[in-house]
Amino acid sequence: MIEKDKKGFPIRSEQRKNWEPYFFLAPVLLSMLIMTGYPLVRSIVMAFLNYKLTEPNNIYFAGLKNFISIFQADPHIPMILLNTIKWVFISVGCQFLLGMILALALKKPFKGRNLYQSIVFLPWAFSSFAVGIMFRWCLNGEYGIVNHVLMQIGLISEKISWLGSSDLALISVIMAMVWIGVPFFAIMYLAALQSIPSDVYEAATIDGCSRIKGFFLITIPYITPTMITTLLLRTIWVFNAIEMIMIMTGGGPAYSSETITSYMYTKAYGTQDFGTAAAMGLLVMIVLMLYSTIFLRSTRYEESGDF
Amino acid sequence: MSKRRLINILLGTGRFLLLSLFLIGVLAPIYWILVTSFKTDAEIVNVNNITYWPDQFTLDNYESLFNQLDFGIYLRNSILLSLSSAAIVLIYSILGGYALARYKFKSKKMVIGFFLLSQMIPSVLLTIPIYIIYANIGLINSKLGLLILYVIINSPFCLITMRSFFERIPVSLEDAARVDGCNKIQSLWRIIIPVLFPGIVAVFVFAFIGAWNDLLMGVIFTLSASNWTIPVGMKALIGKYNVHWGELMAGGVIALVPTIIMFAFVQRYIVEGLTAGAVKE
Repeated sequence: MIEKDKKGFPIRSEQRKNWEPYFFLAPVLLSMLIMTGYPLVRSIVMAFLNYKLTEPNNIYFAGLKNFISIFQADPHIPMILLNTIKWVFISVGCQFLLGMILALALKKPFKGRNLYQSIVFLPWAFSSFAVGIMFRWCLNGEYGIVNHVLMQIGLISEKISWLGSSDLALISVIMAMVWIGVPFFAIMYLAALQSIPSDVYEAATIDGCSRIKGFFLITIPYITPTMITTLLLRTIWVFNAIEMIMIMTGGGPAYSSETITSYMYTKAYGTQDFGTAAAMGLLVMIVLMLYSTIFLRSTRYEESGDF
Repeated sequence: MSKRRLINILLGTGRFLLLSLFLIGVLAPIYWILVTSFKTDAEIVNVNNITYWPDQFTLDNYESLFNQLDFGIYLRNSILLSLSSAAIVLIYSILGGYALARYKFKSKKMVIGFFLLSQMIPSVLLTIPIYIIYANIGLINSKLGLLILYVIINSPFCLITMRSFFERIPVSLEDAARVDGCNKIQSLWRIIIPVLFPGIVAVFVFAFIGAWNDLLMGVIFTLSASNWTIPVGMKALIGKYNVHWGELMAGGVIALVPTIIMFAFVQRYIVEGLTAGAVKE
């Protein structure tokens, strides 16, 4: 297995002055405490309040009312939860698979690889807004190029309303998410693949190890830590990403492309029910933290050092 | 031997096909919004004749963005906010990254944990109390309010990335500077920063793109067109029934240009930065 050494730079005794690191960290820590720590505490409190922007004089402690109303009074929640699961698993799964394939294809150097990479990795730097309108236009039911091409090839006989039908809206937005997300995985895996020393493979070949065996016995174990970090980071990111939904479908038609996070946005800024939205957000955060903990524990990530 | 050669040829061809597919997949949508932005309105919505190249090449869409809409203002706001927030994030990241890379101190794990935790908080959740705070101190619908948010959102990731760039610079380099009589700030400024250049570029670009691409904060916290950035202003173009596709595509293209240029220049550094930031070595 992979032996990892701790990255221990020699630290000289005079560098151990206690106040110095805090001095350097003060600006960012203070800003973060004011703008993240304090709001976080307030939103936790708010989750237990009846807090509607439309009723500023009717704010009171409501106990678990917000949480109960999410699960009991809201008929959309089961579908939205199911949507969220599809949203996270399908888009992260496809990004992972395609990213891995792309990285493997890019592993061996070829002429023009650098140029190729700066084109194929581009979507990583693109905004959800730009990619959202790009896909929205391509998938347009009436004038869209996708329908046009599919009809020309003869795959479909009638125009499909990609974003207007409740069966296809979610999957259409997921396609855009996959498009924007593949480069991140590819970049990470490519870097990890390139860090595998080539003599490991040479030694394996001498020992009569086939390519396929080499892939499973050398490549996969080597890049496992990268796989764990990227999957974790991306899952959190996809969970919280709502801009693509806002641009492409606005959660519709009839909530069919709404995820729990985008629904939280609708609750907060559509119906201005801050209390319920905060309760939802709190639940999402708890789920994400539980997920991260379980994910890292079950993959024994911590044994290989710290972040 | 010949069997092995056959496999090699097959693998090579498969690889070539795969890479071509990826290239087409990435370029096709970009090509399509670019081409659409140069078409006339009539050509864009002509159902019977979808053209792969504009019949009538026009810059009308770009002109009307600037002349009939406030795109000039959006563009200026986007540039201003992205540059200034990236500059602040860079300073934060250099100072904080240095502290996390070079010192051992008691609450170091807690600080890193706090940064990681901050990444797990759904941003919509945070905007709710911030909305109330901003309303109380008059920061709703202001550029300063957005600037603060962009700094906060982009700082943790940039700082952690910068830290790993610092960790690659040997301490001995600083020691040498110390012997020559530099104090800590001087050695940071004169010795470390120049060596750190790739990291600085990468972090600046991360922060710039992070702010440049934001839609959510702009939508929530700004109300009037004079404070809108490009994504927010363009989103307003998407009506419920009537979408101005030509102008929308032109706006999208302009929004993509800076990211494409920056990415082309610093792709190498960014790949390095991403690797350093999130992958354990």
